[in-house]
Amino acid sequence: MLQLKFFGIGGQGVVTGAKVLSKAVSLYEDEYAVTIPSYGHERRGAPVNTSMIVDKEPVLLNSFVYEPDVVIVFDPTLPQKNVNVANGIHEESILILNSEDPEVVKQYKDMGFKKVYYVDATAIAYKYIGRAIPNSSMLGAIAKADICSIESVQKAIAETFGKKAGDKNAESARETYEKTAEM
Amino acid sequence: MAKKMLDGNGAAAEALRLTRPKVVAVYPITPQSTISETMAEFVDFGKLDAEYIRVESEHSAMSACVAAGLAGVRTTTATASQGLALMNEVLSMASGLRIPMVMPVVNRGLAAPWTLQCEHGDAMNARDTGWMQFYCQNVQEIFDMILMGVKIAEDSRVLLPMMVCFDGFFLSHSMQKLEIPTQEEVDEFIGEYVAKNMYLDTEDPMFCCDLTGPEDFTEMRYQQKVGMDNATVVAAEVMDEFAAKFGRKMTQVESYLTEDADAVLVALGSMNGTIKYVVNKMRAEGKKVGMVKLTQFRPFPAALVREALKDVPVVGVFDRSSCMGNYNGPLWNETAGALTRTNVDLRHFIGGLGGRDVPAVNVERMFNELLEIKAGTRTENTEWIDLKEGAMEIRQVTKYVRD
Amino acid sequence: MQNQQEKPTKKLQKCSVLGPVAAIFASANTGSWRLERPEVDFDQCIKCGTCARYCPPDIITIDKTKKECVSFDWNYCKGCGICANECPKKCIKMVPEGSEA
Repeated sequence: MLQLKFFGIGGQGVVTGAKVLSKAVSLYEDEYAVTIPSYGHERRGAPVNTSMIVDKEPVLLNSFVYEPDVVIVFDPTLPQKNVNVANGIHEESILILNSEDPEVVKQYKDMGFKKVYYVDATAIAYKYIGRAIPNSSMLGAIAKADICSIESVQKAIAETFGKKAGDKNAESARETYEKTAEM
Repeated sequence: MAKKMLDGNGAAAEALRLTRPKVVAVYPITPQSTISETMAEFVDFGKLDAEYIRVESEHSAMSACVAAGLAGVRTTTATASQGLALMNEVLSMASGLRIPMVMPVVNRGLAAPWTLQCEHGDAMNARDTGWMQFYCQNVQEIFDMILMGVKIAEDSRVLLPMMVCFDGFFLSHSMQKLEIPTQEEVDEFIGEYVAKNMYLDTEDPMFCCDLTGPEDFTEMRYQQKVGMDNATVVAAEVMDEFAAKFGRKMTQVESYLTEDADAVLVALGSMNGTIKYVVNKMRAEGKKVGMVKLTQFRPFPAALVREALKDVPVVGVFDRSSCMGNYNGPLWNETAGALTRTNVDLRHFIGGLGGRDVPAVNVERMFNELLEIKAGTRTENTEWIDLKEGAMEIRQVTKYVRD
Repeated sequence: MQNQQEKPTKKLQKCSVLGPVAAIFASANTGSWRLERPEVDFDQCIKCGTCARYCPPDIITIDKTKKECVSFDWNYCKGCGICANECPKKCIKMVPEGSEA
């Protein structure tokens, strides 16, 4: 059982990103994924998070993730907004971070993550879809961390967004996958 | 049978579409809104041949459905929370006029305090309106229960409306994998709609819902009671038939590892998944715990509950609603009634209100308390299981006070 | 209203209140929600004021005497982009928040 926690701010497509990933692993990898979004008073710019559980068997748990194996951060400024993305992590927990700034990456690594996968997914999203919505591109980084294959991610994106928008989003995921680095 | 990823609302809308309702009147409300949006899209894109009535409130939505039901077609709506409360007056109209409709209720607490999030208080508020209520544990169950619900409700022995209840956000917005049958398979299972009771027809006029005096009122209420009694029998048949056809079995009252159990938890809804997970974990540690999951709450399957629990030493009932002023929560009350004249030590828990999560650690804590009671090392359990400290002082303001 | 009766007491005191009540408006600064902000190309701007008329929270001020005639109240601009959409000269661009001006 793999427990994932997505952090970001409203408007970045965090919940949609988790939903697309759950499709990728459930429909194209023969596993079972359950997303449990945490909703508050939704608005753009407010910190949001969503939980996801992946298993070979149908998932019984229906509650948020408190001890994540994988943490995905869509917005690197979250610590300034009083969000502790390292809450509940353990020795093996890894981080997937939307930033290429070496200082920021180092700062996150020092929170206690075993490994950090990092990339500027927002810049790649801008390049392909012209908007600051890094959800599809972040899925490429998640594929790099071996949560599921990039092919499954691309198929799930195509299925979710339809032909025209799907192609662009899938390409942004592919480029992010190739550019993601490890620390 | 195709495998798909849908959230709870998506599954509910898809199931409703496959039952081919002719009139749909849904007023959007969080966390149900995507059901109303999806149903409108289905009609707009020609995926569902139905009249979508844009109503101005839930009261009107239910009124439209009652009229459509009397006009002799299958009809549906969906709601949550304040919307269900606003419908309340018309709910008993639907059940008294024996409209066999199925309505998803996406469970969300009632204001005040304002909340958008999950608890069962809204449905519990409507539990005595003459509607059947079935609660779902996961997205597949939502889908299956709606199909079965239509067949149960429309059975000539029942002819009563049903709420298919599922937890707001924890299920309504949770993406899960599910199997979806084809339209042909669904058609074959539920059959075409036939108006079996009173109907409105200019060729064959009737006056529906006329004023009824004390000489007949009791008998009409008794007819509803008989319909409710029959529903428990019919639901069992339909669940068997569904399992034979689609290979997935739901039960009205599911017992899980209760035979030798020292302690058992009883609950409704999505928490049952987490409870089952914790039962597996604690069993692996050698602790004898079990669970009883209620899918059917109205009509309350008292005989089945009694059978499932009568030999368990300590039983905890977990209510996800507060039922103010009552001795305990609604599920506890019903369970206690079913266990009259047994030796079961029945305990009560309340938690998961207003969107508060029910994590595995809290379920484990409830089980441990029940086990301690069984072992004689504890006398009282923590009823409000997830209450924060300092509950009476959580809001402090500086204000003008009178001398 | 000049002779309005005085309150029975003016004593301020901190006390507990039962039920939902808030005394701190944490989300009042809606400008913090912004992901993108509007940027005006003043060489093309015709000072028509369309952006100000469509702005939902009404935080755009037009001063036709200045070349840089459009100003935004950044404490409340949510970055919705309606001004950019409605601009007849298409001279308002949405740029990522935090990027260089």
